[in-house]
Amino acid sequence: MSASQSAVRSRAEAVQVSRTFDWMILFTLFTAVLGGYHIHYMLTGGDWDFWTDWKDRRLWVTVAPIVSITFPAAVQACLWWRYRLPIGATLSVVALMVGEWINRYMNFWGWTYFPVNICFPSNLLPGAIVLDVILMLGNSMTLTAVLGGLAYGLLFYPGNWPVIAPLHVPVEYNGMMMTLADLQGYHYVRTGTPEYIRMVEKGTLRTFGKDVAPVSAFFSGFVSIIIYFLWHFFGRWFAKTDFIADDAS
Amino acid sequence: MKIIKDKVAKLSFVALLITMTAAMFYAPTASAHGEKSQAAFMRMRTIHWFDLNWSKEEVPVNETMTISGKFLVFAGWPETVDKPEVSFLNIGIPGPVFIRAGSWIGGQLVPRSVSLELGEVYEFKVLLKARRPGDWHVHSMMNVQGGGPIIGPGKWVTITGSMSEFVNPVTTLTGQTINLETYALDNVYFWHAVWFAIAFAWLLFWIKRPLFVPRHIAVSTGKADSLISAGDKKVGMLFAVGTMVIVAASMGATNEKYPVTTPLQAGLLRGMKTYQMPEATVSVKVDDATYRVPGRAMQMTLTITNNGDSAVRLGEFNTAGVRFLDPAVHEDETAYPDDLLAEEGLTVSDNSPLAPGETRTVEVTASDAAWEVYRLADLIYDPDSRFAGLLFFWDENGNRQLVTVDAPLIPTFI
Ligand SMILES: [Cu+2]
Repeated sequence: MSASQSAVRSRAEAVQVSRTFDWMILFTLFTAVLGGYHIHYMLTGGDWDFWTDWKDRRLWVTVAPIVSITFPAAVQACLWWRYRLPIGATLSVVALMVGEWINRYMNFWGWTYFPVNICFPSNLLPGAIVLDVILMLGNSMTLTAVLGGLAYGLLFYPGNWPVIAPLHVPVEYNGMMMTLADLQGYHYVRTGTPEYIRMVEKGTLRTFGKDVAPVSAFFSGFVSIIIYFLWHFFGRWFAKTDFIADDAS
Repeated sequence: MKIIKDKVAKLSFVALLITMTAAMFYAPTASAHGEKSQAAFMRMRTIHWFDLNWSKEEVPVNETMTISGKFLVFAGWPETVDKPEVSFLNIGIPGPVFIRAGSWIGGQLVPRSVSLELGEVYEFKVLLKARRPGDWHVHSMMNVQGGGPIIGPGKWVTITGSMSEFVNPVTTLTGQTINLETYALDNVYFWHAVWFAIAFAWLLFWIKRPLFVPRHIAVSTGKADSLISAGDKKVGMLFAVGTMVIVAASMGATNEKYPVTTPLQAGLLRGMKTYQMPEATVSVKVDDATYRVPGRAMQMTLTITNNGDSAVRLGEFNTAGVRFLDPAVHEDETAYPDDLLAEEGLTVSDNSPLAPGETRTVEVTASDAAWEVYRLADLIYDPDSRFAGLLFFWDENGNRQLVTVDAPLIPTFI
C-alpha cells in the first residue's frame, strides 16, 4: 500500500482513484477481449456464425461452443484466481457479441446490405452465465471445466433455437423443398461463398437418426471440457505477475 | 469539470478502439470486378460462355430480369485447375443488389452444387429480382471447387427506385406468406435483447462494487474467501437456474409455435441435362497461332474442311467472353456489352463460302483493344501458353455450327 499512500492524501481519494482504475481496466479488458476474441471466433467459427443457412444441427452445434469456450476460460482464470470475480465468461461473451453485432449491423447490413435476419450472431450468453456461476460456487477449475464445459456445449443449441426455429420452417420453391434459411442463402447472393463450401449436416453421427442435435451437443460439450482446461491454463499463464519484478508482497 | 473532460477523453478513446477493431473485421466482398485480374488461361480454357442475353438494361426495384445463355465446359480443361465435379452456378454482383429468385441448368433448378461433364454444353438461366438501386456490373459466374470462381462476361444494369420498397414474399409449406427481407427480425432482436439484459445484470451485480485493487489485495493476503458472500452465492444460483429455466421454457414455447421445422437442405446434383448443339460438319486444324503484342491481334492459320452438304463461312471467334465478328457473316443483335464485342474484329484472308467437301487454309486475325483491356494477352506469360476459344460457322441456310480450338500460342514482339 505504500505506493498508493504516497499518491493520494486521504482514504476517500484512494477509493476514488481505485474506482477510476476499475473502470479503466474494465474498458481496456473489454476492448482487448472484444478484438482478440472476435478475430479468433471469425477465423475458427467463421461462416457458421455469419449465415443462417450454415446453422445446422451437426457442425454449427459442434463447432461454435468448442471454439468459443476459449476466451471465457482464459479470462475466468485471470479474473477468478486473481480477483475472485466470477464474470470472466460473461464479460468475454458480451464483448464478443457486442463486436459481432457492430460488425453484422455496420458491415453486413450497412455496407453490403445483407438483411440482419440472415447474418445475426449466435447466442452464447446462457452458457457463459452458467460457466461463471459454476466457477463461483465450486471455486474449482476441474469442476468448471467438466460441469461448465458440458453445460456450455449443451446449452448452445436450445439457447439459439428460439431465434433460428422460425427460419427452419420449410418452403416449397420451384419444386424443391428447403428451409427459409436455405432460401435466404440462395436469394441473397454471396459471390465469395458458393454453395459447396457450405458445411452443413455433414459428419459421422448419422447412426443416431433424427436426434442429431442432442448428440452433437453432447459431443461438443465433451470437447469443450478439454478446450476449457487448455485455455484456462493459458489464462493463468497470462495472468502471472512474474513479469513484474518485486511483486511478492 | 476536469473529471467530465477526462471521462469524455477516455470514452472517445474507447470508441476509437472499438471502431478500429470493427474496421479490421471481415466484410463480405463488396465488389465483383475480379474479371480482369483472373488469369487469362482460366477464362479461356475452362468455361466458355456464349449466346448470353441480359433481358434488361434498366430494372425498377421489385421487378425481375434474366441472364440466360449457354456455356461449354471446355474439354481441354487445364491440369492445374480442379475438374468441375462440384460447381455452383453463381452470379457476379457486388453483394445482394439483386436477389437470385431462381437459377436453372438445363431446365432444372440449381440452388445446390452440380457436377458438370467436360466437353458438354449446358443451357442456363438466372432470374434476378432488383433490390438495391444503382449501376451494377452483372456477370455470369461459375464457382468450381478447387478452381475458384470463373467469371463470365459482365454487363452494366441499372436498378431504379428505392430499396425501402423492396419486398420478398414467400409462402411456406405451413401456409403463411412472409416477407423474407424482414421475417423473424423482431424475434432475433427480442431474444438477443433478453440475453444481453440478463448478462448485463450479472455483470452489473459485480461491477458495481470496488473491483481490482481491493480484491487483489484481499486475494494476495489470503482473504479470498471473504470476497464471495452467501448472498452472492444465492444470487449466482438464481442466475444459473434462471438461465436454464428460460432456455428450457423458451425452447418449449418455440417448438409449440413452430411445430413444423426441417433441417437445412444440402447435397450435390448430378446428371445435369446437357444441351445438344447441332453436329459440327466442319473440322478445323490450327496450323499455327501467334499473338502480335504491338498490334493487339491474334493471328491463326487454320485449315478448314467442310464435310457437310452446305457451304459455310466463319463468322465469329469467341474467347473468354470476347467476341470477334466478321460483319459480312454475322452481326450481333443481342446488345452484347460493347467492351466485349469487336463487331469488325475478325478478318479472314478468304471468307468466301467453303463448298461441301472443300478444304481451305486461311489466315484468321482477331484484333481488338479487348486483348489488352481484358488482359487476355497475359496468357503469353502463362506456364502453359495455349489459347482456346470457340469458332462459329454459318451455312447457307443460316444454321450455326460450333467448333472449339485449342492450340499453342507464340508471341511476336515486333
Ligand atoms: Cu464486373
